[in-house]
Amino acid sequence: MLPMLEKRRTLAGVMSWIGLGILVVFTLIAVLAPVLAPYPAQGPYAQFLTPPNQAPSFNHWMGTDNLGQDVFSRVLWGAQTSLEVMAIGVILALAVGFPVGLYSGYVGGSIDKAILLVMDSVYAFPGLLLAALVAAMLGKGPFNIGIAITVIYIPLYYRVTRNQTLSVREETYVEAARSLGARPWTIMWVYIAYNVLITIPVIFALSAADAILTAAGLSYLGLGIQLPTPDWGLDLSVAQQFLTDGVWWTSFFPGLMIITLTVGLSFLGEGLNDLINPLLKKGRA
Amino acid sequence: MPKRGSLLAYGLTRLILAFPMLLILLTVVFTVLRIIPGDPIYALYGGRAPLSVIMALRHQLGLDKPYWQQYLTYIVQIFSGNFGVSLGAHYGGQSVIAVIEQKLPATIELSIGSMIVASTIGISVGLISGINRDKVVDVVGRLYGTTIFVIPVFWLGLMLQLLFAVDLRWLPVNSRFDISSSPPATTTGLYTIDSLLAGRLDLFIIAIRHLVLPCLTLGLVLSGFFAKTVRANLLRTINADYVEAARARGIKERTIISRYAFKNALIPVITVLGLEFAILFAGAVLTETTFNWDGMGRLLIDSIEVQDYPLIQGTIIVFSFIIVLISILVDILSGVIDPRVRY
Repeated sequence: MLPMLEKRRTLAGVMSWIGLGILVVFTLIAVLAPVLAPYPAQGPYAQFLTPPNQAPSFNHWMGTDNLGQDVFSRVLWGAQTSLEVMAIGVILALAVGFPVGLYSGYVGGSIDKAILLVMDSVYAFPGLLLAALVAAMLGKGPFNIGIAITVIYIPLYYRVTRNQTLSVREETYVEAARSLGARPWTIMWVYIAYNVLITIPVIFALSAADAILTAAGLSYLGLGIQLPTPDWGLDLSVAQQFLTDGVWWTSFFPGLMIITLTVGLSFLGEGLNDLINPLLKKGRA
Repeated sequence: MPKRGSLLAYGLTRLILAFPMLLILLTVVFTVLRIIPGDPIYALYGGRAPLSVIMALRHQLGLDKPYWQQYLTYIVQIFSGNFGVSLGAHYGGQSVIAVIEQKLPATIELSIGSMIVASTIGISVGLISGINRDKVVDVVGRLYGTTIFVIPVFWLGLMLQLLFAVDLRWLPVNSRFDISSSPPATTTGLYTIDSLLAGRLDLFIIAIRHLVLPCLTLGLVLSGFFAKTVRANLLRTINADYVEAARARGIKERTIISRYAFKNALIPVITVLGLEFAILFAGAVLTETTFNWDGMGRLLIDSIEVQDYPLIQGTIIVFSFIIVLISILVDILSGVIDPRVRY
């Protein structure tokens, strides 16, 4: 896929590269947080050494929060939490949505219709509310939140996989494989799956962007990550209490991180969509 | 068949098709609430109440029965309009319906206001973008559509609060009404309508001033989706054969856009409107938290926090009802506007 990006210097190509760049940078931040952060993310060390709610300064680039913790350090560490939750949520959704979509699209008929109806109904429901419900039942913590947001994205992966399977199923080579006596399992996983997979990167990037937002939303509502774990959404909900005192830095910077990462992922998704979607390609030529 | 009849038939079909959707949503809610580990009674009294009290409460709520029996009771109760009584600390003892009646108007007011903001800004941006395809304005418009949509609504809300309420002091920070004055007498529960009904323009202005920031926050975030849809559809219609034919007849480009292309580009927007409501409700939960807005979203989160099980259920069901209702309305509306949809 990457050589394809290189050849096209379109807006879509540029967007994809910017998006990919942002994702790589954030992954590096998450991995290197222990090295990059000037202070520990939490704990008595940070708490007792610095006064609370200080404006950005040379020592604390993004100021300190209500406990005197360094906002810059927490924002860097927060990348770990966000990416962890996002990865769990999106990978699980793929692991469930893809096989079910493949099966549903391949067998068709009333089984397909029934699964479609269920998935569509779940999809029509506000994702955050559903995730909030599941999160409240499962309890806090990155892994549980990852599972909670999976519920939102399974229908998405299912839908895309199923629709693509429906059209790939009718291709001549699938017909050929079938007439040669290949078993349904082989046809699904060897002949169709690979050609359906091409649509996945777009959905992967777009759902990842949404997953970051939803996870931050859950933490903001108090249903996600628990203090003192550094998390952007959680830090925002704490910061809100001090906003009327003019303390803007504790809410501004975590939000900026969420936006940058989600913008990056959306750029990647939309850029890839324009590159992969052949209809759009034809329109541009 | 006359046009009217077929539209009615279409509406009825749609209504019947909505039933399984509602049933599935109710089933999902049931599954999530009961089958996932976690017990509301235990969460409420765990360790603090004697086992006999817990068992009695479980029995009273029917939680000791097998799942299929619980499920049947649940479905039957919902369709007979019995949503139960709140268990939690906040509204304990009140009927779920009564609590929801208090909270729903706030959310309706917020939703309508946000939709007005979102559609006005979104459609304008999409239109300008689509007409000036691939020019600088278009790139800016597209970037707006992509970026605004991924800004966390609560962060935007906090920043707008900081700017307009804390720094500039133009607007109130949060809540639905000034603490110093009392809201108008309840007729609809919508403060704007109620104050107008009471003939109190001063109260109307207070209500509007409180509505501006929350609606702007939620509306801006939702406008991105509108902008994208309008642009994409305008690009499709702008090159359609009938538009090309109008162009060939020498009709001015301005007329072509407004009369031919724009009108048809708006039809899919109505479909999008249905989807937008699902996003709107999710956004409303967050916006209500940011602005201390006493609506359904806050109610849901508060009842989740205290595991007020009938209230969680009731709130979710009302949301489901509204979503299904809107999806039917949207389908019927697009059937009215675009007869092709009906076939």
